[in-house]
Amino acid sequence: MKEVPAWLVDEGSTAEMRRMLSSDSPVDIETLAARARAITLRRFGRTISLYAPLYLSNHCPSGCAYCGFASDRTTLRRRLEEDEIRREIAAMKKLGIRDILLLTGERTAVAGFDYLRRAVEIAAEEMPRVSVETFPMSVEEYRELARCGCTGVTIYQETYDRGRYEELHRWGPKKDFLHRLETPERALEGGIKTVGIGALLGLSEPVEEALRLYRHARHLAKTWWRAGISASFPRMRPEQGGWQPPFNVSDHQLARMILAFRIGLPDMDLALSTRERASFRDGMAGLGVTRMSIASKTTVGGYDEGETGERGQFDISDERSAGEFCQALRNRGIEPVFKNWDGAYNGPATQIIPTGGLKETIP
Amino acid sequence: MDALHIGSHTFNSRLILGTGKFSSTDVMLRAVRASKAELVTVALRRFNREQLEDDLFGPLSQLEGITLMPNTSGASTAAEAVKAAHISRELSGSPFIKVEIHPNPQHLMPDPIETFEAAKILASEGFLVMPYISADPVLAKRLEEVGCASVMPLGAAIGSGRGLSTAGMLEIIIRESAIPVIVDAGLRAPSEAARAMEMGCSAVLVNSAIAAAENPEEMAAAFRDGTSAGRRAYRAGLMTESGDAVPTSPLTSFLGERR
Repeated sequence: MKEVPAWLVDEGSTAEMRRMLSSDSPVDIETLAARARAITLRRFGRTISLYAPLYLSNHCPSGCAYCGFASDRTTLRRRLEEDEIRREIAAMKKLGIRDILLLTGERTAVAGFDYLRRAVEIAAEEMPRVSVETFPMSVEEYRELARCGCTGVTIYQETYDRGRYEELHRWGPKKDFLHRLETPERALEGGIKTVGIGALLGLSEPVEEALRLYRHARHLAKTWWRAGISASFPRMRPEQGGWQPPFNVSDHQLARMILAFRIGLPDMDLALSTRERASFRDGMAGLGVTRMSIASKTTVGGYDEGETGERGQFDISDERSAGEFCQALRNRGIEPVFKNWDGAYNGPATQIIPTGGLKETIP
Repeated sequence: MDALHIGSHTFNSRLILGTGKFSSTDVMLRAVRASKAELVTVALRRFNREQLEDDLFGPLSQLEGITLMPNTSGASTAAEAVKAAHISRELSGSPFIKVEIHPNPQHLMPDPIETFEAAKILASEGFLVMPYISADPVLAKRLEEVGCASVMPLGAAIGSGRGLSTAGMLEIIIRESAIPVIVDAGLRAPSEAARAMEMGCSAVLVNSAIAAAENPEEMAAAFRDGTSAGRRAYRAGLMTESGDAVPTSPLTSFLGERR
């Protein structure tokens, strides 16, 4: 079996991060919050950039134990056709959304690369910024997506604990831990400009998980110096399979994580989705988070068709409308920014393949 | 009248404002007015003509006595910056372009090679090119040679608030430059703006220090005063620094005239 890369288990320069993350840390959370707030204010100002997910397809051949789209769930499977994608995008534009994240399950014949490429082309006609959160692809496929107007790839490792990973990914193409781990680098090599990484919090021990995510972010930033890197902090939410996570990540733990990341990675975008309830999102705004999803629908066709009775990939928690959410930010002295990118900057990035960047393993 | 001349344009204020980090459009506009700035930069990425409440360009273009300088923040190559400049000019009608090319979106340091290439192209097309650069005296002269209207070296990293950490290099750039030198990025306090002006900078550009202040409008006014005071001091001629005490009455007058 191929070894995990050395950077994933490198304890060097993580002592301070560990100290900040630990729940029995001598560093109290209020101190962390004050430091994180000051850094955020100085570097990002009083703004939060907004994006929204668009679920294109929930077809999925994989057996991820924790996911509402797993192939053993009874959810109705569908994919959006071109006219439906256009209608969804029009409905999203009415909400003000200009930064869109296209989602699918793992690769299937019904919703594979050609389908995704067409969806990116359609989205890029209307939206200045288009990213994808889909199946891992090859360098060449990412290059093609970049040419079609895709600027970002979000791919969560789910858990960086290899043993847990093997156990939770029961079958399907997602089972290959290292192939998934190397995906952000294939995307960057293909000219994608920004990658978003994250772990699904609750699948394994949270402090170790956060440290591995931190190492991953640091590794990508060092190896791919032109890349925009962002980290997300999705917590397990109820899904229709009723799977219960082995670890419960409390609000305090999650907040500590976000604050520590802001202090440890002062220039990096940090994202928080509608998985989190309104009061937590409002509280964290300005304390480290720089990107938030808004008015999310996690069902296929959710924006144009509204409630269909189907459950999405997971249950969202912050169900406020775009207007309500923006007002809440403004009440806290934060400007919600819908457009913070321009189509003039779309196209493949110039990325130099680093020597040994992908090959480094434990001797 | 001690005016700032850039190309054929004349400005009475030597404080230039950035606009990307304010808590609301209203706060931004009040800060711009309080600063008395006449030149204001706005990123193409924040132009949103489809959704006016999210648009920075529209409200700024309505302000009396303000010249807009679009910027290419977000560009990572010369080609992207040139494209953004063309779109910005179409949308705003402004001949000014602040060339900002930062391939690393984390630290936002400017790429000297891509910046030079973009500046050369845009200057030849008649833009008033204002390139954001590291405090590199040779690059500053190279940009002057290709027809830039000014150079904008950084005082410190964007959003760092570390003031004039590049002071030594800035002094060389100011001494050597035949075009306006505008310190852009890193300033935290009006006293730093004053110091930049005392050194002989033509102007300063400030965003984070004002937007992130507890009272942006008041801080904008403070920067206006700091910039103005520094400029007046520079023109008044600062007393030279010396490591030795210099008495006000000569100590050797008893020697009489030298023969």
